[in-house]
Amino acid sequence: MIRRTFLLSTLLATSLAVAAPALAEEIAIGAHMPLTGSLARSGQAFNEGMQVAIKVFNESQSKHKIKVTVIDDESQPAKAVTAVEKLNSDGAAAIIGGYGSNIVGPASDTSNRLGKVYITGGAVSDELVARGNTHFFRINNNAGYQRGVEGLMQELKPNGISIVASTREAPALLAKGLEESLTKLGFKVTLHPFDPAITDFKPIINKVKLQDKSEIIFMSAYENDYVGIIRAAKVLKPQVKAIVGAWSLATPKMYSDFPDLMQNVIGTTFLPFPVEVKDEEGKKFAAVYKEMFGKEIEYASTLAFVETMVLSEALARAADAGTLKSGGLLAEMKKTDRPSPLGRITFNAVGDNPNFALSMGQHRDGKIPLVSPAASATGKIAYPALPW
Amino acid sequence: MMRNLPAAALLVAALAIPLVFGGNGYIMGLMVSGLIVAGVALAWALLGNLGGMVSFGHAAFFGVGAYTSAILSAKAGLPVPLSLLAGALGAALCSLVMLPALRLSGPYFALAILAYAHIFKILATELSSITGGSAGFQRFPTLPTIAGIDFSSRTGSYALLVVMVALCALVYRAVKRSHVGTALRAMAESEDATRVVGVNATLLKSWMLLLSAFITGLFGAMNAHIINFLEPDYAFSGNWSVLPIIAAIFGGYRTILGPVAGAVLIYLFDQIIAKELLPVGHQILLGLLLAGMILVAPNGLFGLFQTRRKGAPHAAA
Repeated sequence: MIRRTFLLSTLLATSLAVAAPALAEEIAIGAHMPLTGSLARSGQAFNEGMQVAIKVFNESQSKHKIKVTVIDDESQPAKAVTAVEKLNSDGAAAIIGGYGSNIVGPASDTSNRLGKVYITGGAVSDELVARGNTHFFRINNNAGYQRGVEGLMQELKPNGISIVASTREAPALLAKGLEESLTKLGFKVTLHPFDPAITDFKPIINKVKLQDKSEIIFMSAYENDYVGIIRAAKVLKPQVKAIVGAWSLATPKMYSDFPDLMQNVIGTTFLPFPVEVKDEEGKKFAAVYKEMFGKEIEYASTLAFVETMVLSEALARAADAGTLKSGGLLAEMKKTDRPSPLGRITFNAVGDNPNFALSMGQHRDGKIPLVSPAASATGKIAYPALPW
Repeated sequence: MMRNLPAAALLVAALAIPLVFGGNGYIMGLMVSGLIVAGVALAWALLGNLGGMVSFGHAAFFGVGAYTSAILSAKAGLPVPLSLLAGALGAALCSLVMLPALRLSGPYFALAILAYAHIFKILATELSSITGGSAGFQRFPTLPTIAGIDFSSRTGSYALLVVMVALCALVYRAVKRSHVGTALRAMAESEDATRVVGVNATLLKSWMLLLSAFITGLFGAMNAHIINFLEPDYAFSGNWSVLPIIAAIFGGYRTILGPVAGAVLIYLFDQIIAKELLPVGHQILLGLLLAGMILVAPNGLFGLFQTRRKGAPHAAA
């Protein structure tokens, strides 16, 4: 009887061991995103891209399972700091940062103090990589945006450019950089800084119309500002030939939210819409994104996808080496060198990605073809062409 | 003995928290943020209770205190303890320009102070060569280490804030119990009557505005060195005016400890419970809690305790 019970038990245990798949090691990470507040439009897209990356990574292998906890930072720096502290207390192995240099700055400072790796794709200020934070990494930067806009201007050769720029850190930095570089290239540039609190842009557009008489308005700002500037321009109709902007402008979401304002507007991007992805990872991302959210991938979600994939792979490498709990993630992040839908990703000594470069896309009847530089263009630029 | 029970309970809780949660940076971080709001709520209640003035613009004092301290420590090399004091003095000085508003009362005074707060925010944005403008101001010293205590750590900041809140509560208590406090309470009942008996109402109200601004500026300065980041939108945020009002009403703005307990409780409730239940739009739960408290205890949490304590002997009899 005892022998029979023993045999049965052994048989049962063996069959269970064979039948059960190997349990994947769960690695908890945290993220703070502006899901509400003034940056919510970008925050939602970032969150979606990150969720897709987690799913793609977890399904691509069986050894590690990444689990992410997301906290809404309400587009506020202090809430982002609290979020990082909570995620650290909950045992997050690393932090994925939110959007906006003013929010990422203090949040990544806190993460650095706690010795947690922090990666972002939503903060371009040069100040962030000048602080000497050892645990900070980002995949995009101001220089990439500047190169994209300079290339477009050299192709269009306007007789004057009016830069309408928010005085917030990142937009002000981009505007200042462009003012210097475009002036050196021989363009007549006029800078119009504005307080982020203002909502009526008609006085600035009037200056562009009556004083500058430029052919291009370049907006270095955020989504709500773009809407206000274009709305004012639509009312006053300055004699410009194109309206160009920086981040988070050439996105399908902006067109679906403001179809009457976005037609022919040009913004920085790296993907045309509808999406034409050439690399395998990009195709996989687009397919899973469509399956999860029923829409095409876009600029912000792609940044989040790439940053999350980079972090997930580094986490897996550190876990495989048995160094995840002893600070091995930092070394693995520094070793990153991979292709991505954004191009090659590597990190220099201050955690910046020196390979980041952007194209320019133009809103055209709900589509966004890449129109500059010529080498990556998927459509011909409409110029002169305005939203009105 | 019973009269000091709430103060004793708060003291025990304040001492127990670092012992229990000292290793939990998140909880200690929330406590630090809650105590910052507590300091401002105390200053707001002082102005309302003793000065008889309702302010919607304490964000002005908070922001001026923060910027003054951060700029003096970063650009003039002033040691942080002195820059904190300078921040508080700066806020008190900025309240001097608000003195004309003392001619107003009730909602007119509240709205005038709100306008002043907006003016100071615009100044912080426009004086970009000094304040960094909208881009913000990041590189300034954190709280220092003194006598081996690292005040920039969460536990160190917490200890400093507990002491500062306690000191400000004692100052409030001393003023309330003095002849000035008696005159101020009489003024709240009838300003004309107190003027008739020779009380200089305008002077006393000015002193209360200065004191309230000083305390608010002090906590604004401490918050700046704890967060280590400033931008006009954050430093002069309407939250610094609204949260202390909610806290004071919740805790009982007629008492000294009510605003302190109210601030810590509502901050913890919002961040730990409401945000967990409703990650997006959790402020709705805070509003419901406040509405419930007003219905159940119009005089706030401490008002409720006081009512029960006064009622207890009758019930026993």
